Amino acid sequence: MTVSTDPHIEEVKKDITFRVFRFNPQIDSKPYFDDYTIKVERGITVLRSLNYIKEHLDSTVSFRAFCQAGICGSCAMRVNGQSKLACTTQVWEVLEKCREPNVIKVEPLRNLPLVKDLIVDMDPLVDKMKNYSNWVESTMSEEEMGKKEFLIPEEEFLRYDKATDCILCASCVSECSILRANSEYVSPAVLLKSYRMNADSRDSIHDLRLAELVKDHGVWDCTHCYRCQETCVKSIPIMDAIHGIREDAIECRGMKDTSGSKHAEAFMSDIEKKGKLVEATLPIRTNGMVWTLRNLLPMAMKMIVKRRTPPPPPLVKPSKGIKVFRSMFREMTKHVREDQKSHKK
Amino acid sequence: MKRYAYYLSCINESMTKEVDRSIDLWQKDLGIELVKMHESTCCGGSNLDYVSPKHFALVNARNIAIAEKMGLDLVVSCNTCLMTIRTAKKKLDETPALKKEVNDLLKKEGLEYRGTSDVRHLLWVLIDDIGIDAIKAKVKVPLTNYRIAPFYGCHILRPSKVLGHDNPVEPSSLDQLIEALGGKPIPYEHKNRCCGFHTLLVAEEESLNVAAEALEEAIREKADFIVTPCPLCHTVLDGYQAKALRQAGDEGHSIPVFHLSEMVGLALGYTARQLGIKRHIVT
Repeated sequence: MTVSTDPHIEEVKKDITFRVFRFNPQIDSKPYFDDYTIKVERGITVLRSLNYIKEHLDSTVSFRAFCQAGICGSCAMRVNGQSKLACTTQVWEVLEKCREPNVIKVEPLRNLPLVKDLIVDMDPLVDKMKNYSNWVESTMSEEEMGKKEFLIPEEEFLRYDKATDCILCASCVSECSILRANSEYVSPAVLLKSYRMNADSRDSIHDLRLAELVKDHGVWDCTHCYRCQETCVKSIPIMDAIHGIREDAIECRGMKDTSGSKHAEAFMSDIEKKGKLVEATLPIRTNGMVWTLRNLLPMAMKMIVKRRTPPPPPLVKPSKGIKVFRSMFREMTKHVREDQKSHKK
Repeated sequence: MKRYAYYLSCINESMTKEVDRSIDLWQKDLGIELVKMHESTCCGGSNLDYVSPKHFALVNARNIAIAEKMGLDLVVSCNTCLMTIRTAKKKLDETPALKKEVNDLLKKEGLEYRGTSDVRHLLWVLIDDIGIDAIKAKVKVPLTNYRIAPFYGCHILRPSKVLGHDNPVEPSSLDQLIEALGGKPIPYEHKNRCCGFHTLLVAEEESLNVAAEALEEAIREKADFIVTPCPLCHTVLDGYQAKALRQAGDEGHSIPVFHLSEMVGLALGYTARQLGIKRHIVT
C-alpha cells in the first residue's frame, strides 16, 4: 500500500488477499467473491485496505464507512466470519484466523437484508427500535423543558453507563442465534436500548415498554448464547441488560403471565423445595398441560422406550442437608424483601 | 490419583444419566477420582441469576464452599452449570459485601466461601491435568477413520471473561481431545455455535431452527457423529433431532450425538452398552 525503503518496515509487509463478498441485486443472479491482493504493512486496518482497493483496484466495491475511529458504527462487517468494525480491526490481528494463509474473507453483516456487496439495510433494526420506543419519553412537562434540570444520581447512571456506549453498529444483531432463526425477534441491540431507557428515571413509559418486551419475539426468546456480548465492539455486557429486563419483568405486577417468566420462576421454587430441578413437570409449569401434551407427547414416548424420562416429582431425591439449606434460602428471601422495601423508600 | 469435587448436575441425574455412568467407568483408568458432591444443589441453570441475584449468589457460594471444605477444585460436566457457577464466583470475588452477606448465612451449615477452589469443566481437566500424551497412551480402541464434529456449546466458551479457557472464536480443546483419541475433528462452522436449549420451552420453533442448522452442517460435512461436552446440547441435538430436522424440511437424515464422556469411554475400550449409548434417541 505504501512504499517505504526502511528495511524494518519492509519486513512487516505482506501480500494479503481480500476475498470480498459481491452481490448487486440489479445485475447478479447470485452472490460471489472477488479476490483483491495488495501489499499491506503492519498497523493497517481492514477499512484502509478496502479504501485502497476501491480507489486503486475496483471502484465498484461497495461498503459503508465514515468516522474511521470506531465511533460512528457504519463500517461493521464480517471479517473472517466475525462481525466487527473494519476501521478498528487491524489486518495483522485477523491473519492468524485465516482458513487459507493470508486470505481475509470480508462479508456483510448477517440477519439484515442485503443492499449491495458489504452494505446491509438497517431499516428493520430502526423499525424495531421505534416499536419498542427506544428513547426517553420525558416525565417533564413541555412548559418546564429547558427551564429545569434533570438530576440523575450517580448510582442510577452506573446502571446504564455501559449501555450508553452502544453505537448501533449491529454487530450483535449479526451474531444473534435467535434472530437467525426468526427475523421477528426483537434483537440484542434493541433489548440493550430498552433496558437503558427503562432504567432511566427521566422516562415515563417504563410499563408500556416492558409490556411490549414480554410479548412474543421479545425478551424471553433470548437463548443465552452470549454471542451478542462476545462480539460487541464496545465490550458492553448485553446479556446483563437482557437479564435486567427479565428481572424487572418478574418484579413487576402484570408482567409475569408469560411462559418465560413461569419457566424462570420454576427454578427458584424447585431449588427452595428440593435443591434440585424437577424436570418432569417443567414443561407443564411453563406452558400448561395442553401445550405439553400436544408438543411433547411423541418425544415423551420415545424417552420412555429409552428409559431417559426425568423422574416424577416424588422420586426427585432432595440434596443432602436440604433442611439447613432451605432455612438459609428462606433467610435470604427475607434479606431480598428488606432490600426491596428500602429500595421503594 | 488426582481428586476433584464432582458437582452433580440436575440433568445428569435425570435425563442424561449416561454421562455420570460413563465417567464412573473410566475415571480411574485416567488416574483421577471425582468425589460426588451429594450436598450440592441446582446452580440455577442460567435463570436464577435474574430471578433473584442474591439467592443465586447464596446457592453457588454454598456449592463452591462444599468443594472448598473438601480441599478440592469443583469439576462439572455441564456447560451451563460451569458458566453459572463461575459467574457467581466472579461476582462473589468482586463484591465483598455480597460475600459477607452470603457467608453470614452459610455459617448455619458450618460452611464458608473463601474463593480458594477453582470451578472447572471435565474437558479442561482432561486437557490440562491429565494431558494429551497421557490420554493417548491409554487409548485401547483408537477412533481412527471416524470423522467427528465437535460441538462445544455456548457456556464453555462464552462469556469469555467468565470462562477464559478456550478462544471463543476458534476453540481447540475438544478438537485436541478427539485427535488424542485417534479421531479426525472436522472443520465445522457450528462448533462454537448455539444448540437452542435455553428457549426450548419458551420459543420452541426458534430453538429447533438453531439446532437444525448445526445438525445439517454436520450431516453435510459427512461427520460420523457429533460430540459435545454439554448434556443440555446433547438433549437438543439427540432428543429433538428428528423434530428439528423435520421442521427444517430435512427428514430422512440423522446423525448420532455422543457425550464427551462416552467418546472417551469408547476409545478406552468400553462398549456402547456399558457407556449407555443405547439409551440415546438417535442410535
